[in-house]
Amino acid sequence: MAAADTPSATLRHHDLCSRGIRLARKMRSDVTDLLDIYVERQGLDASISVAAVDGVPAAAAECWAEQTGTQRLLDNLAAYRAFRTLLAQMLEEQREQLGDADAELGPALAAVLLQVSAFAYHLEELLELESRGAPAEEGSEPPALPRLSLFEQKLRGLGVLRELAQWAVRSVRDLRQLAKHGPGSGTALGLPESQ
Amino acid sequence: MKCGSMDWDAAVTWTANGTDIDDSHLNGSYLILKKVDLTQSGQYSCYEGSSWHLKYQTYLRVGVPPKEPVLMCRSNNYPKGFYCSWHLPSPTYIPNSFNISVIHGTREMVCEKDIFPKNRCHIRYLQLFSTVKYKVTLTVTNALGKNSTTLTFDEFAIVKPDPPESVVAKPVPNNPRRLEVSWQNPSSWPDPESFPLKFFLRYRPLILDQWQHVELSDGTSHTITDAYAGKEYIIQVAAKDNDIGTWSDWSVAVHATPWTEEPKQLTTEVQITETTSTSTSSFMPPPTTKICDKGAGVGSGAVAVCWTAGLVLAAYGVLFI
Repeated sequence: MAAADTPSATLRHHDLCSRGIRLARKMRSDVTDLLDIYVERQGLDASISVAAVDGVPAAAAECWAEQTGTQRLLDNLAAYRAFRTLLAQMLEEQREQLGDADAELGPALAAVLLQVSAFAYHLEELLELESRGAPAEEGSEPPALPRLSLFEQKLRGLGVLRELAQWAVRSVRDLRQLAKHGPGSGTALGLPESQ
Repeated sequence: MKCGSMDWDAAVTWTANGTDIDDSHLNGSYLILKKVDLTQSGQYSCYEGSSWHLKYQTYLRVGVPPKEPVLMCRSNNYPKGFYCSWHLPSPTYIPNSFNISVIHGTREMVCEKDIFPKNRCHIRYLQLFSTVKYKVTLTVTNALGKNSTTLTFDEFAIVKPDPPESVVAKPVPNNPRRLEVSWQNPSSWPDPESFPLKFFLRYRPLILDQWQHVELSDGTSHTITDAYAGKEYIIQVAAKDNDIGTWSDWSVAVHATPWTEEPKQLTTEVQITETTSTSTSSFMPPPTTKICDKGAGVGSGAVAVCWTAGLVLAAYGVLFI
């Protein structure tokens, strides 16, 4: 991977990782605030347990330390693309439920959605630098979700935000690992090239 | 207590720790202890009345059922795992056994007991970044009953590093308001490069109660630049993972005093003054004066006073008289 080994590529890689870490940290902080608003506006108990929901990417990872850089980027990108769709759905549902009466939750959701989109783009740039290119989005759309009751929608929303908060922390760690190992550190395992 | 196989109406003597027990506690040959308290623990023996043959002996242990145990779990070596430790709020005076279970979602995890201390075990993380809570239940059992307590927590919430180690504070030469502080990551934190810590430093002069605080997002050193000249300071450092968990306890305190200039030697001035007042014609150099050597440097606090400086001091001495 000659492109990934040049000094300028190394500098750009380091710069992208550093900026990505800052983006992820800011995102986590805003998602934490959004969670507080969401729980309050939706009338939920903050300590309620939410079962894993189909289509919500789980941040939990086994053997996290052994992942290659490329795998980290691909997992992150798939997750944030899914969150982008899920948050857009939540925003739509929130507008249907609360409409113009809500001056807080809607804007907070929209702001986080923007950050998620920006972060996904940032990850695509990192993947480009790894000379792998970002995979096409067609295959990464979450399946169409069944129509849920209002309460089920609220619980799913809580699950989405909680998982997003975990992902933000994981992304900081992933990018730090990426920065530590430098560009082009994820191709040794013979992962398939993107189209 | 029954005296072995002796009949109810047999004449017996009971002793507790070698001391005869009054007959008022007997119902026939049975020993009846009412409102038993801890002081009644001991060896109880029953002897046949006339022959004084030992017919029965037992050790009575008076205890209490266990109260709800106190359980704490913490990760000071993230992301490797966490440990849980426990104790009873008050003694039971009889042997207790402890059983701990750790559940993560549907998975039961192994808590490996430490040899020392005995009231601790540790768990290795099988997953990181999970939103599923951990549920730890500790059950304590003894011959008189059992009790238990349960803790439920997130992976991130229990992360708390050990305090920083090897904290050193030194004065900065020729800087009366500075102190250089350095420290090391706690040795229990396994991967500070991938999971960096941030630090909180606090310092105050011993003569004041108010602490100054500085938060440092990277590095393991800091220079205090606003110390009061000449005052002894007390300094401590705490650590926290950059992104999750809580602050460590404060480190061991270190003391340091900023650099101060060496006071001038007043003995030289006084002697010259006395010499000048008694003698009008001769000038005696003070005994502490040394001839200046161009090659000499200032080392280990030693000061060399040149002949020229001695004459200057002599002049000042005359002025003061």
